[in-house]
Amino acid sequence: MLKRWGMVIDQNKCVGCWTCAVACKSINNEPLGVHWNRVLTTRPDEDAPGKEPVAATAIDVPHGEFPDLELAYQPLACQHCTDAPCRRVCPVNATFRRDDGMVLIDFERCIGCRTCFAACPYGVRTFNWQRGQYGSDFEVGYGRDYRWNDRLVFTPERPVGVAEKCTGCVERIDNGQEPMCVAVCPAGARVFGDLGDPDSEISFTIKQQGGRQLLADLGTGPGVYYLPVSRPNKEHI
Amino acid sequence: MRVDRREFLASFFAGSAASGIGLTGLRYFELAAVAAPSAPDEKVFRTGHSNNCDGACGHEVRVVNGRVTFVGPASWEKTTIDGQAAQDFSPRICLRGISQMQNTYSPDRIKYPYRRVGERGSGEFERISWDEAATTIATKFQEIQAKFGKPAVWIAPYSGSLSLIEGDPGVAGRFAGVIGASLGDGMADNQGDSAGPSAFNYLLFDPNDPANNGGALDGHEYTDFANAKVLFLWANNLAETAIPDWRYISAARARGDLKKLVVIDPRYTPTAAAADVWAPIRPGTDSALIDGMINWMIKNKHYNEDYLLKYTVAPFLINPKTKAFLRQADVHPELKDDAARAKYMVFDADDKTVKPFDSPDLKTASLAGTYQIDGATAATTAFQALVAAIEPYTPEHVAEITEIDAKLVVRLAELYAENSPAAIKCGFGLSHWYRGDLTHQALLTMATLAGNIGVSGGGVTIFSGGLTSNAFSNLGNWLTPDDLKPSSLMPMDACAAMLDGKPYPVRAAWFTIDNWAQQMSDRNRVLKALGSLDFIVVSDYNFSATAEMADIILPSCTYFEKTDLLSSANYYLQYMPKIIEPLWESKSELDAFAMVANKMGVGKYFTQSPDEIIAEVLAFGDPKAPDSVKGATLEQVKSGAYHLNVPTPYVPFADKKFATKSGRIEFYVEALLPYDQELCGYKEPIEAIPSNPLFKRFPLVFLSTHTRFRTHSQFANLPWLKEINNQGQGFLEINPTDAARRGIGDGDVVRIFNDRGSMKVRARLTEAIKPGVTNCYQGGWATRRVKHYLEGHPNNLTHQIANPAQSIVPTFSSNAAYYDCLVEVESSTEGANHA
Repeated sequence: MLKRWGMVIDQNKCVGCWTCAVACKSINNEPLGVHWNRVLTTRPDEDAPGKEPVAATAIDVPHGEFPDLELAYQPLACQHCTDAPCRRVCPVNATFRRDDGMVLIDFERCIGCRTCFAACPYGVRTFNWQRGQYGSDFEVGYGRDYRWNDRLVFTPERPVGVAEKCTGCVERIDNGQEPMCVAVCPAGARVFGDLGDPDSEISFTIKQQGGRQLLADLGTGPGVYYLPVSRPNKEHI
Repeated sequence: MRVDRREFLASFFAGSAASGIGLTGLRYFELAAVAAPSAPDEKVFRTGHSNNCDGACGHEVRVVNGRVTFVGPASWEKTTIDGQAAQDFSPRICLRGISQMQNTYSPDRIKYPYRRVGERGSGEFERISWDEAATTIATKFQEIQAKFGKPAVWIAPYSGSLSLIEGDPGVAGRFAGVIGASLGDGMADNQGDSAGPSAFNYLLFDPNDPANNGGALDGHEYTDFANAKVLFLWANNLAETAIPDWRYISAARARGDLKKLVVIDPRYTPTAAAADVWAPIRPGTDSALIDGMINWMIKNKHYNEDYLLKYTVAPFLINPKTKAFLRQADVHPELKDDAARAKYMVFDADDKTVKPFDSPDLKTASLAGTYQIDGATAATTAFQALVAAIEPYTPEHVAEITEIDAKLVVRLAELYAENSPAAIKCGFGLSHWYRGDLTHQALLTMATLAGNIGVSGGGVTIFSGGLTSNAFSNLGNWLTPDDLKPSSLMPMDACAAMLDGKPYPVRAAWFTIDNWAQQMSDRNRVLKALGSLDFIVVSDYNFSATAEMADIILPSCTYFEKTDLLSSANYYLQYMPKIIEPLWESKSELDAFAMVANKMGVGKYFTQSPDEIIAEVLAFGDPKAPDSVKGATLEQVKSGAYHLNVPTPYVPFADKKFATKSGRIEFYVEALLPYDQELCGYKEPIEAIPSNPLFKRFPLVFLSTHTRFRTHSQFANLPWLKEINNQGQGFLEINPTDAARRGIGDGDVVRIFNDRGSMKVRARLTEAIKPGVTNCYQGGWATRRVKHYLEGHPNNLTHQIANPAQSIVPTFSSNAAYYDCLVEVESSTEGANHA
């Protein structure tokens, strides 16, 4: 039975520690300045209708005025959309979507036109303008090529002139493991699983706790859901 | 096997590889290898993270061709050493553990031994051999000890590592004992973390009982917080500094088991943001808040009377003349038997007489009240004395002191007292105050009233784990072979020894896993003291501020490069194997001390391998091994991380037995009578309080808290962490109202100053900090080569004023009160006129 992979991120548990971002950096040997996964500082219900857009501030800076403050975090990486705009616009079908929901880039086919950048409303793609500088002088992480249907969907040092983004750790999930961000989250804020199975933990969680998608009205159909911050026991004194 | 790009291009141009892509232009030739690579030769090791973060996570380390390529979370065994079912402990790691590789492979690592050739602190060194370095050290130490006395050499390990051999005090402690030197720290963390632990030795341990080793500490296993109905995180930004422990708290809340999460903090941290109740207290006034909560509990009779009568000194009568406990000898001086004379006395409400607390005909000991002892004398119970001491701390009075609304003070009391069990977890930040001891004394008193000590889901916990257990009960013997002991010289007392020769002169020092020149408070005084020394040795893997002051620098291994054992902030034994060969010419501390010891003629004490040391300290195979490690073997320890033989989750004092003089919780502390601190009535901070005349010139409290992106001064210069942390550049958190008053805009350079020193950083305006309070994250470097602050360092502002009350606890006798600090902040734009 083919799975339809998805992820849910619980913003009640996420405390903006950046462990997922650094783990992603490490397993994928990302160059300095490149983050496939990063953590935005925001506030609860930031996309609720009627709420003002979140102004850009430094990380960890809350919204409001002391002592009436709000703070929440939103890890952000490729949403692995069902109807991915990046896939639609790619002129050479370098960006493609697998039947199990993972949206991938074939690093051998990408011509670096960057139309996908314009198309992606989440801003989760990065581009290799030049040879990367790295935190160490040898490759770290998974450390080898991974091909699916002969397409090179992961390589430790991506070529100059191609786009790159979260791969959903395909080399791991195809091997029965979870994506690295899920495996390392110290707060246990991420769940990965089969959206196609209504009894899976992820499906149950999304249904029970009102998991929502980012920019849902755009119809991209993300495979990533977020559980909104809910503080039923919060007191204002 | 990956094809090197140059090889690929060469073969392409030679026409031997058909890539199938008919593109022109060189850039399209820069492709990854077309041949499918084979799986690399990857080895996997399990180790523990021994850097100083109190996380003690287990790491799964991947190695390819002798190089560490990935660090991830490792799993834990599900049983204790002796095979009992333990808990299900999730694999855990944080951004720092993942980045540990960058510590090991840093291009800035100290690679070789060095000798200073320029002025001290000039950064001019020349490379020398290990043999030359060890000979120099041995010769100088012998010279200085002969001339100034053995303790004139100060061996200073600190908490940079918490592992058994390479950590604090570790092999450095053994070396200090063997050569009769003075020793900096014996795991008591006297550089700012000992205030809280000292209070445990006011109420729960007798510091003079040899069984308590000069001072003990205990705490709940952190997974026990999931059993609390209400959890107070008191000055504990756990969601940023101890992230893996957040998992259990947030899960307990999601399940509905944890009803309220309460956070006491002047800053709106990620932890405060996640709280159900946040109390932004004036920092340093916490014991007033706690007194207010105790006041409410007493007025509303929300205390556990049975618990107080049975397990505490509450009913014991106080001698009105001496204020010590009333003893039977005071009432019946004619008694001869010592034991009878010493008995504590209570008032029996039944027959209205005063009698010994353990009298067989005691019917009902009175909790409260004042009673006639004889015609002239009336004595109160200890509980009554507490009632009197707490009387002034009404919600309104507490609101004035703490700047917390009176309604909130009441609510906090309700939350704590009306929910059972209620747990309190304190961050070490609460210990960074002159009155940190009193704050914890008050917390323990409050927990006692609620009957929360020794109860799962309750208690007061600062720190917990193998370090506070008896797992290493043989460590004392290993540290003092042939009973050779060092003198104890705490980091807080070392400046006086160096500058004034008190209590004895110190002329040389060896720092290992210790960045004392930067991390100790009152940095200007510390640098002056170091400058006065004849000889300084520094072992480190970074060119730290302390290494810059050295005469001899020794390159240290990081923990991937040496064998050790870890059991610090959790109750697991984690074997730390040597995973890669030491890089460059680095050596383990064990090897370094052995080399010098050999040259000093005491090499016979340093012939054991790490495995042999572990076997000795854990007493493998010894029927007299402590219960917590009984049954352990080296094989088992190497095979996985097993839980100590303690119940899980571990709850201290579960048997309600207290190693105090009376055997009970002594919230009335006789030993503190000379300091007017026998009860926990509020006393002001030594510096950071408005009533201090200094406040007129320096009206801002200056905190220097911990950031998730560093562990003290470790991890500070790593690329992966700097690039998500403002390029490693420090900043001052300041509330916009305080900034506006001073004409400071977001991003402006500011000068932070008081009479002790100054520093400069850029300001970050944020509503997340209480007006009147500022914060600059500590741990950034202030060295010649790397500056994470524009000028100076937060410790230029802090002091070394010691609280004499703590001196009654030998192991926790002094404490650097980093946060008890006042400053002024001014804009420091170029060209501005300064009066």
